Amino acid sequence: MQYIDTWRAVAAATGPADRAAAEEGVGLAYRTAGLTEPERFVWVGSPKAAVTAVRSLRDAGRSVRDEVRTVPWAEERRRVHDALGPTGWAELWGRSGALLWDTTRALAERIRTGVADALAEEAARTGADPDAADAERKSARMVLLDAVLGQHDAAWLAAFDGRSDRLAGLARVARHAGWWWPFEKAVVICERPVELHRDEAGRLDRGDGPALAFPDGFALHAWRGMPVPAEFLSGLASLTPERIRTEENAELRRVMLEFYGYDRYLAESGARPVHRDGTGVLWRIPLADDEDVTMVEVVNSTPEPDGTHKTYWLRVPPETRTAREGVAWTFGLDAEAYAPVRQT
Amino acid sequence: MYRQGDVLIVPVAEDAVPTRAEDAQGEPRDGRGRLVLALGEVTGHAHAVTGPGRLFRDAGPSGPMLLHLPEGGRVVHEEHARIPLPKGWYRVVRQREYIPGAVRIVAD
Repeated sequence: MQYIDTWRAVAAATGPADRAAAEEGVGLAYRTAGLTEPERFVWVGSPKAAVTAVRSLRDAGRSVRDEVRTVPWAEERRRVHDALGPTGWAELWGRSGALLWDTTRALAERIRTGVADALAEEAARTGADPDAADAERKSARMVLLDAVLGQHDAAWLAAFDGRSDRLAGLARVARHAGWWWPFEKAVVICERPVELHRDEAGRLDRGDGPALAFPDGFALHAWRGMPVPAEFLSGLASLTPERIRTEENAELRRVMLEFYGYDRYLAESGARPVHRDGTGVLWRIPLADDEDVTMVEVVNSTPEPDGTHKTYWLRVPPETRTAREGVAWTFGLDAEAYAPVRQT
Repeated sequence: MYRQGDVLIVPVAEDAVPTRAEDAQGEPRDGRGRLVLALGEVTGHAHAVTGPGRLFRDAGPSGPMLLHLPEGGRVVHEEHARIPLPKGWYRVVRQREYIPGAVRIVAD
């Protein structure tokens, strides 16, 4: 468990890299793989800048990602797997790497998509060829898939923590820097983000600025995990029910509703409750050309410090007919089966 | 069944417990010796069980979980009142929310 907390922090770390420590880690990883240490390091401010830097490398030799990362990792995995057996390995992974896997993998994939989209957009602006954007997106993805993920390799480094000296170099880089690209004579290595904002579920989430930003300005905007344009966020502060009703993009409208607040929207649009029972209140907002927004309003059983009870809204499937049916659905149960004897 | 915020704890009959759960090693306890049912990614607030027992995770970090409390226990959280649990087996269910085309876990 202590490993997990440490590696959870590594995966989410922001702020300047410790360049000396990261370069030492790279050197150790090369020596462990039986390679000569790289002659030079090219530090970049974001994975986007890294794609450009990797492409413009000269006399760097071939990629040594397999020797430095993939082979040692695969062999250590086999060694630990053989020592613990399939069940033991599954249990080790279940209480270490698996706990970080989903959030870090999702974050890395969002970064890849964001970088590829940004480069494709630049290619579309500057290139005359209509296929230039698509070609650039594919080409950038290939470079991005070749990275060693540094801090975002936290999940599998957590599984081997304390079990393998062979991965010490990779772990040292991960603790001090972002993504890196190892070649025979040169390494392109990336700073960590300066901003990272996530919600309780681990999704990128920020309403008043970039949810993820790197020191060179490359940034991603998202609201509760949903990618949104930067300009969209600045418009959220001046939302009106009318603006929400007339938004044609269903996903952006959902973001607007969540940001505005279902309760406020319900009050200002004159909505009436559809059903009410001991579990809560069922509300429905009809939307043009889209399925209804159906929600249960639930009162938190535990009072706040000031003695009031917090009310919250959960969206449920549109076919829901009663509040009990809606609350039961949020726990995967039928209305008849949902009967807590005690709740706080 | 018992509910603490976004976590529902449902009693499971002894004969309905899968045999693989009887043999499984179970989740490690946290630094305070508790079994963590759900952990807030940002606040660090946790729905957790104190007392002797075992938590068995069937699949994935938010997947179905089974809880065995041979002597009973209680579920605690920084913002919710504690709930005593009688001895026995339980299924632990995270609250979810509907979004068109998908479903997501609620975290309070």
